[in-house]
Amino acid sequence: MISDRMAEILRRLQTNDWSDAVADAAEPLGVDGISVSAGSGTGVTEILWSSGGISDGFEDLQATLGQGPGPDSLAAGTAVRVPDLTRVLEDRWPALVTEASVLSVGAVFCFPLRIGAITLGVLTLVRSACGPLTAGQGDDANALAAVLTKRVLDLGFPLLSAPEEESLPYHHAVLHQATGMVSAQLSVSLAEALLRLRAHAYSNSLNLTDTARDIVARRLRLAPEPPPMNVIDDADED
Amino acid sequence: MTTRNEQLTEVFVEVADSLIDDFDVIDFLQNLSVRCVELLDVAAVGILLADESDRLHVLAASDEHTRLLELFALQHDQGPCVECYRDGRPRVGVTLTDPEAATRWPQFARSAQDTGFVATNALPLRLRGRVIGALSLFQRNPEPLAAQDLSLAQALADVATIAILQQRTLAHSEAERDQLQYALNSRIVIEQVKGILAERWQMAIDESFSIFRAYARAHSRKLSDLARAIADGTQDTDTIRAFSAHRPWPRA
Repeated sequence: MISDRMAEILRRLQTNDWSDAVADAAEPLGVDGISVSAGSGTGVTEILWSSGGISDGFEDLQATLGQGPGPDSLAAGTAVRVPDLTRVLEDRWPALVTEASVLSVGAVFCFPLRIGAITLGVLTLVRSACGPLTAGQGDDANALAAVLTKRVLDLGFPLLSAPEEESLPYHHAVLHQATGMVSAQLSVSLAEALLRLRAHAYSNSLNLTDTARDIVARRLRLAPEPPPMNVIDDADED
Repeated sequence: MTTRNEQLTEVFVEVADSLIDDFDVIDFLQNLSVRCVELLDVAAVGILLADESDRLHVLAASDEHTRLLELFALQHDQGPCVECYRDGRPRVGVTLTDPEAATRWPQFARSAQDTGFVATNALPLRLRGRVIGALSLFQRNPEPLAAQDLSLAQALADVATIAILQQRTLAHSEAERDQLQYALNSRIVIEQVKGILAERWQMAIDESFSIFRAYARAHSRKLSDLARAIADGTQDTDTIRAFSAHRPWPRA
């Protein structure tokens, strides 16, 4: 269950500039810092947003050492929850654990931003006190990651953040099938294929699911053209 | 002709064998769906899982035809499954030809009938007082399922829940919500790969999936791992295509 507080933050996140909304998420999540990084299975490529302080320090540390829950979450495509960094097995992130205690990071929780094989980045929550997230906070964090996934994807084509397109119809298999087809047709990453699909639907005022059905039925084929804007690299495709 | 008891024993052994091993959740649930069809003598079975916003997604089905997947997907906002998910109570013996069904779930009732189904049932995927999804059963005959079959169906739904929460992911996150998100994403990877293969091989989505699955089974590869490798570009898809060319046409 998503808390009312988080539901409100997610609504703001869908329409506004996201930094304020993300900053406000720290309190309901019970953490001291939040960061959002772009990245792929091979690691973080760029910090997109950070609440500063402890989060900046932790992100720097992971970047310097090239290890930690963030890179692991990106590589495995699943959340990594570390409720007590001092009790992590030594061989997991040998250098990180010692350094993190200097920053007084007690707990870290990472949630991947992904849509199937499209890995866009990771949401990292940092807390100085040890202890797990509550079940409710975990649900809230996963919900935040889901909305951030779309926002990070939208960075490739800001025009697409149309208010009427609040969420993507992920529950329709045909959307993902069409994404795969477009990626093979145009030899582009899955992330870019999904953007192209949405751009086509948006600019022709079509429903996204119907557009996807047309692609899968081969009634529609998108024309190869340069990406509209700085599309995010999906290094998983390399 | 195997008796029902023999069938049940076989399924029980198969399920136990898989769960103690390193199994692929999508593959497991798909096999389980096929077993449900056989044991309960229904026409089609789907396993639906809710996302973080309480929307139901198809995780596996007894038959991967896109048309059927779409019918299950329709239940994200209408139909007995979404109602069962919301209040945790099973919906059994729902007659689709009933005018009431058409009024309550117009799109769902019509699509289900167009696909040849006349009755449907929805059972909750239960987890410690919560509901995480639903098991959807479709029938081509209007006979209600016997009480014994419904208990069996609920047991199979519970097995599905256990399997979803038993997945071993690389990072070993034990939080239930993380496991559910991981399962949902594993399903999406498979759909994306169906599209990639259908385009590369210039065939229908359903055909490309049959070949993909036959190859995975023959090589003891997990569906999700193979799909992931194809999406990442580390698995040569010509090999898969060539393999299928030397075999009898696989059935969907």
